[in-house]
Amino acid sequence: MFGLFHKQKDEEALPEWYSELQEAQERWFSFLEKLETKMEEFATAAIPELKEILQGDDDFYKRTFHRIYSGVNGQLNNIREKARDTYEEKINNLYYNLNAQISVLSKHHHLLSDFRGACSDRYNQFENQYNYWRKQIDKTQERDLEIEYQKILDNYETTKNKFSCTQCGGAIAIKKIFLIETYISCPYCQTQNTFAPSSLARNLQNIAKELAEQRTAHLLAEFEREKDKERQLYHQRHELSLSIIHESDKRILNEVQTKMKDLEEQRQFAIQNAPKLRQIYLRALYDEWNKITPDLKEHNEKMYQNQLNY
Amino acid sequence: MEEKKVNSFLDKLKQKAQNQTNYGGEFEISEAKMNAKDCPNCGAGRAKQDGLTNCAYCGFEFINVKLTDGVYIKKEDNSL
Repeated sequence: MFGLFHKQKDEEALPEWYSELQEAQERWFSFLEKLETKMEEFATAAIPELKEILQGDDDFYKRTFHRIYSGVNGQLNNIREKARDTYEEKINNLYYNLNAQISVLSKHHHLLSDFRGACSDRYNQFENQYNYWRKQIDKTQERDLEIEYQKILDNYETTKNKFSCTQCGGAIAIKKIFLIETYISCPYCQTQNTFAPSSLARNLQNIAKELAEQRTAHLLAEFEREKDKERQLYHQRHELSLSIIHESDKRILNEVQTKMKDLEEQRQFAIQNAPKLRQIYLRALYDEWNKITPDLKEHNEKMYQNQLNY
Repeated sequence: MEEKKVNSFLDKLKQKAQNQTNYGGEFEISEAKMNAKDCPNCGAGRAKQDGLTNCAYCGFEFINVKLTDGVYIKKEDNSL
């Protein structure tokens, strides 16, 4: 009748483009696997090297380390770009090409969307892997700034009473750590002496922010945990709501719904609470920073006000 | 084979980074020091109350801009 059944039988067999999809997917998967091993090999070799170089780099600003560090990052990025280009070329192109030929109403259209879903999931997995290694490499540049800060403080303590006026020879005490050249007037003859701080002391303003960040890292972690809670709670609640679609038992329905309500309340609380924790973190960070370099307080406070708006 | 390639790449990278010279030349580590600039015209020192921009005795101009408030230098450091 109307040849309808005939047509259906035709469609039951897998279309000829399906093998093309399968092949592309298989190649994509094995390609990413290869890239991942390459990335892992490279990163595991580079990380101990980087740590060693940072230790041995006697440049004041660790510039040799940073050159190698950016080289390593560049190499990692090359791998990532290769994956992205291939995804565009082999997966997306094929998908759009076939998508233009095959009707959405076709029985086999789901093969195409499944193909795309599987490939992009695999791609995301690769990206996660990349982010993981990137973070590990990022970590190699961390160094304990407390030690360097202590060095600056010690240096200041030992030198602060060693200076005298070039005009009258009277002793001039250096009252604080100066970050740049400054005029200090002699308490006896009032002559303006120019005081040039040591390289070590000048470097204080370069490490001050990072040191303050190191000291307040636990507050940042607390804020980030709270910020992530919103999504986690949302997904938990979503799972529950899916689980009761076909549920008819009133008791179970009630139970799940109270749980959902509870999760929603927690989620709302996290939404309210996260910005507060961020503010606590920022305030603590800037307080620490101001403690380390009190001279820059005015400037830092402007930055703090700016950051509050983001 | 793969292992070797990774290491040779890293070694090359290291070599290059170590041989590269820093932009702006070598860094010189200096100790803190004290100095004073006398008036090159009449030899007088600059006292706090006379300001920084002009010599109080002969009027020699040390700094030819008007000072504004900074971290260490303040407006009051202008000579009258």
